[in-house]
Amino acid sequence: MTDVERRAEDLLDRAALAFRGHSRAENWLRRHRERLGEPLRVAVTGGPQSGKSTLVNALIGEDVAPVRANGGSVWYHDGAQPLARVFPEGAPPFTVPLERDAPHGHAVAAPADGIRSVVVEWPCRALRHTRLLETAAAVPGEADAVLHLVRHLGDDELAPLREGAAHPVHTLVLLSRADETAGGRTDALLTAKRIARRRRTEPRIGALCQDVLAISARIAHAGRTLREEEYATVAAIAGLHRTEAEAHLLSADRFTGAAFAPSIPAGRRAALLDRLGLGGVRLAVTLARTTARSRAALGEQLVRQSGLTELQASISDLLTARRGVLKARVALVALEHLLRAENHPAAGHLAAEAELLMAGAHELRELRLLAALRTGRVALPADLALEARRLIGGDGGAHCERLGLDPQTPPEKLWPAAESAAVRWHEQTTVAATAGGRRAAEVVLRSCTAILDALG
Amino acid sequence: MESWETGPTAYAGPASPARPGGTELDALATAAGPAPLWLDVLDATIRTCTEHGRPDLAGRLWQRRTQLLDPSLRVLVVGAARQGKSQLINALINAPVCVTGDDRGTAVPTVVRHAAQPTARLIRRPAADAGWPADAGPDDRFVLAPDRLGDALAESLAGQPARSIERMHADVGLPRSLLAAGLQLIDTPPLPGLAAGETAGETAALARVRDLVTAGQADVLLFACEAGRELTGAEIAVLADLALLLPGLAVAFTKTDYAPDWRSDVEANRMRLVQAGVRATVLPTSAALRMHAARTGDGTLNGESGFPRLIAHLQSLLAAKPDRLSRAAVGLLGRTVTEELAVPLRSSLARQQAEGGSSDAATRLHEAQRRMDQLRRCTTRWQSRLADEVGDLMSDIEHDLRERTRAVIARADETLTEADPLRVWDDFEPWLREALLETGRTSLDWLSERAAWLARAVAAEFPPELGDVLPSWVPAVPGDLPQRVTELDSPPVDRFTLTQKVFTGLRGSYGGVLMVGLVTSLTGMSLINPLSLSGGALFGGKSIREEGRSLLKRRQATARAAVQRHVDEIFIGMAKDAKDSVRRVQRALRDHYTAVTEDLQDAIVESLRTAKAAADQDAAARENRARRVEQELLRLAGLQRQSLALLQAPA
Repeated sequence: MTDVERRAEDLLDRAALAFRGHSRAENWLRRHRERLGEPLRVAVTGGPQSGKSTLVNALIGEDVAPVRANGGSVWYHDGAQPLARVFPEGAPPFTVPLERDAPHGHAVAAPADGIRSVVVEWPCRALRHTRLLETAAAVPGEADAVLHLVRHLGDDELAPLREGAAHPVHTLVLLSRADETAGGRTDALLTAKRIARRRRTEPRIGALCQDVLAISARIAHAGRTLREEEYATVAAIAGLHRTEAEAHLLSADRFTGAAFAPSIPAGRRAALLDRLGLGGVRLAVTLARTTARSRAALGEQLVRQSGLTELQASISDLLTARRGVLKARVALVALEHLLRAENHPAAGHLAAEAELLMAGAHELRELRLLAALRTGRVALPADLALEARRLIGGDGGAHCERLGLDPQTPPEKLWPAAESAAVRWHEQTTVAATAGGRRAAEVVLRSCTAILDALG
Repeated sequence: MESWETGPTAYAGPASPARPGGTELDALATAAGPAPLWLDVLDATIRTCTEHGRPDLAGRLWQRRTQLLDPSLRVLVVGAARQGKSQLINALINAPVCVTGDDRGTAVPTVVRHAAQPTARLIRRPAADAGWPADAGPDDRFVLAPDRLGDALAESLAGQPARSIERMHADVGLPRSLLAAGLQLIDTPPLPGLAAGETAGETAALARVRDLVTAGQADVLLFACEAGRELTGAEIAVLADLALLLPGLAVAFTKTDYAPDWRSDVEANRMRLVQAGVRATVLPTSAALRMHAARTGDGTLNGESGFPRLIAHLQSLLAAKPDRLSRAAVGLLGRTVTEELAVPLRSSLARQQAEGGSSDAATRLHEAQRRMDQLRRCTTRWQSRLADEVGDLMSDIEHDLRERTRAVIARADETLTEADPLRVWDDFEPWLREALLETGRTSLDWLSERAAWLARAVAAEFPPELGDVLPSWVPAVPGDLPQRVTELDSPPVDRFTLTQKVFTGLRGSYGGVLMVGLVTSLTGMSLINPLSLSGGALFGGKSIREEGRSLLKRRQATARAAVQRHVDEIFIGMAKDAKDSVRRVQRALRDHYTAVTEDLQDAIVESLRTAKAAADQDAAARENRARRVEQELLRLAGLQRQSLALLQAPA
């Protein structure tokens, strides 16, 4: 448990003590206190048709979303069997069993007054440590982290993020439907990734999120759940003569049209197009023609190309690994909210403490630096960048992991390593080439001294 | 129709010839005839704008007039970000002139026109809202290399501050037969506020399109939206307004090659447009297919791309420009301009109707009426006040006089009871006269004080804003008291004469002599003896004393009665005088205040009359104005009817 987490918990406990007898505030505080121990809540947000449901499916690896519930938000939790708990407005909640295999998602009959929220329970490994929330709201208050989907990185699309706090440590921007970039050419995904890499170094975008990633959720999901029959269709198209195949891949009309070779029935082509999209089909055919010689290989390569692997790494590095810090942050924000709304003699004191904790939390600064190093917003020489990343916890939060030593190293051997790192980074705070580098060195130095403090 | 010309942008061959039988000839043929009807309506509209004091509108219309007479057709391609606008233009003329791909997006508007040699330049305008010249002075012109236009543009723009980028546009000339006929295509930066999920962004987007249309002198609009999605609510709202802005609106659904179900999507969007009442030509296109077709020379693929339909649409618009398109444009313009001109007229009409009861003259009229009412109330008040006060005064003065005379009588009674009137009369009478005179004087003084006070009290009943209404004279109380208080003669009295005394003494002494003589005779004395004589003298003396006292009493009573009668007479006289005075004062005051009231009334009636006249005049003037405004509105309505007729009339 990190320092900020402990202090946030402590602050919540004291607030609960101060607000004893005030039932609304007590409920609120108890809920947030309980949340600290729950799995990380990740919201998937974005405009209509930005690919939220597809991304949820790709992350879960099954056909779950969309759960159409009259526009309400949908939570995805781990559970014993597939079912949806519906919480209608002004009516008792009820449960609906869900089909396991529903390629076009599920629909929940909405009661007359509308639905407050829907919780889908789905037995799945991916949901064990992370809960997903699919919502159209721009800034979901209940989530610990946000994956915001945009079609492109224009000002209009990023505007909803500007309403949130500056330098958010909990937001990843995803350039979704990357397979449609550049007219859906075979290199669409590569182009989209290049755009994402270039744009995430921009300070304007860095101020809005931790990282920018390109992803084609459709290809990722198709890759994860590719069927033999689909592979066979792809392989059959790849087996055609190159010019003939390309002529058919020019447009969706031509791909599903009657002029296609009769060996591949139109129904299967349409199904494949529906699953992969034209860009995905082009990519799959190219892969099948060159390297992917089996369903598994094609699926794996599609997933790799789709950007899902990088997204999962980012989620794991920036969000799941920092679960405690992110949850503490949400709890502190909620506490500040409560203290502002409630008139209580202890409120001023508690609010000041919460603000101090938010502003001074070293863990949050580490998180920001980690993102800056990942996205290249802060430039350090390669070896120093690696060490900085390790020291601020990019490879794991334990002391040995931070110092790059064997986990079995005895504590007395950690001290000299930490001390030499501190000396090295103290030097960097003055000699680093850029102002950003010097600021980064100060954060790393603080991490080193934190290790020394803990050891001594 | 195979209307692409293959080749790179840096085309060095001969300029494409104008297509024979093309639109320019038609345009000339039409222009040679009598001035078309739409030009008359437009000129009438411009005149109306000038008459209505709107030189800005007139200037804008004049610009549109020049533009409509120009045979070339400027097509403005607008839409949200990443909808394939630039790609559409590039595919249309088969040259990479507009920036596409990656995420660079279009930064400045780009005009693509015909030129014998490929040319490209970036032009800085003097102001953001100025028109777009095709060329500019050397300081504001940046020549770009046509064969690497995208990079050259990015490099030129990179060195510019953001504020001057707003004032820039690119101008590209290309040798293309499609353009040679007079078609000009304008690529634009994405419209703001149309991103998916954003609400109420249509105002910003519309303002931007209006600016672009005015500055870019666009004739028709081509709205780009990618196939495979629904038009957003904001886009529908923007399209509904754009359809009223320029005629010949077309919506290009781009990227049909990529969307599997584009036909049903486009059909759904067409239905939504129809439901929203937007008249627009729907054109599904695929730039990717068109480019591929141009590369391979594949006519079938070109047909599939939807571009032949787009080109035919644009060419029909170009052909229709001298007549049908311009007519529709003028119709739309006339409608919006007349509506715009009518707005201030209608509001002024409404304002006039609203202020009908609140003009200056009407206020004065109301004020005069109010004062009249006030005066009427005040008249009643002062009259009753005067009557009340006079009644009070009458009873007061009588009571006062009576009290005072009663005091005089009491004093006189006292004197006459103690003294013998016979002896004191000479002193008593002057005292009595003096006392009565004093009483009368005091009462009269008091009366004149009361009269002055009465005048003030009545004056106080008039409203204070009328000023001083007190009479300049003091109410006079006549003072002829000395005539009233007459002399009182001494009352006739019974005197006690000597004979009477002797007789009374003898009568009294007789009894005494007899009584004492009888007693003494018993003792042998004679009846008349000294004893009896002295007894007789005693008795006689007593009788004389008694007789004298009773006479005095009688005298006193007579004198008192005489004094009382006299004082009562004088009191009645004085009371009558006082009452007469009060009545005179009352009459004088009544006359005075009646005169004051009449003067005031005259003044008020006069002001009432002038105010009424002014109000009547005002109302007449207002009615006149309203009639003029209504006539003006009728004229505008006539102009609007003409404009609408242009919109509806067949070719």
